[in-house]
Amino acid sequence: MPLRPSVFHILLALSDGDLHGYGIMQEVAEHTDGQIKLGPGTLYGAIKRLLSERLIVEVDERPDPELDDERRRYYRLTDFGQKVLKAEVQRISKMVSVAQRKRLIPKPRS
Amino acid sequence: MNMPPQRLFQIVLFAYPRDFRRDYGQQMEQFFRDCYRAERVTRGRLGLGGLWVRTLLDLARTAPREHLETLRKDNAIMKNPGKNALAFLGSIVLIVVAFLLLSYGKKHEISTILIFGRILDAGMTAGIVGNLIIFLLITITRLNPLRIALWTLLVVHGALLLVTIVVGSKVDPAFSLSGVLLGYIVSFLFWFSLHWIWSKAIGPLAVSHES
Repeated sequence: MPLRPSVFHILLALSDGDLHGYGIMQEVAEHTDGQIKLGPGTLYGAIKRLLSERLIVEVDERPDPELDDERRRYYRLTDFGQKVLKAEVQRISKMVSVAQRKRLIPKPRS
Repeated sequence: MNMPPQRLFQIVLFAYPRDFRRDYGQQMEQFFRDCYRAERVTRGRLGLGGLWVRTLLDLARTAPREHLETLRKDNAIMKNPGKNALAFLGSIVLIVVAFLLLSYGKKHEISTILIFGRILDAGMTAGIVGNLIIFLLITITRLNPLRIALWTLLVVHGALLLVTIVVGSKVDPAFSLSGVLLGYIVSFLFWFSLHWIWSKAIGPLAVSHES
């Protein structure tokens, strides 16, 4: 902690369900409005580290085996990965609250 | 020659370490294929140009990092930076003490110290050159460090001895072949013993890379 931006976005992308590499990239591009497009080296370098730290695992199950290429590998967030992601989100939200109190960014309308 | 983009990307992948390519190469190819297809359909040539730029910039940023990680994982040198820094400092102290001792002997004409002058000359020259080469070879290859040390020290001592014999006999009227020969033999034994002790002290890590 804090997590690297690429790692944070990958964990965030996997929080909705299992994804393969290209799916992770699409998800990250979508939730950052296209601002972050992960390259292959960044993506698979991060995946390698996340696997070794047991934040994610490779899974054999596929969302739709009929439509999917069986050579693709899918990744899933582990319980530990989920805990790390939640802790990071809480850390960021605390920083955002501080920034809101200091009127650096507007408070969300309730 | 018009090379297909997939083939070009396979060549690009060679910038990454072998183990990384083995584990993720196929997935990265599939990833690039998907990106290429999507860019061609949605943005055409401009999109494909952008994809190549992004891919190459990503490669420039991530390939060195993967190599560095592989080196850290594979080499005892990189795993024990504290011990190695201490050994390096120790070697410098040894050289400085030897140099001061030799200067003192020359200044006060103490023959017992001067006898070791040639050994110290050989030891310092071969030690600096040899250990630098050994350090580099251990860092970039997976060969047995003790074997690297043996062959490097043999070659460096042999080459320096040859140069000293050829040049020394022409420039120094008091040149002594037996003195120089003795100096290089003792220097070789000293440095090789040091590497042998070092490999024993570090344990199997230092000699585990040979496949």
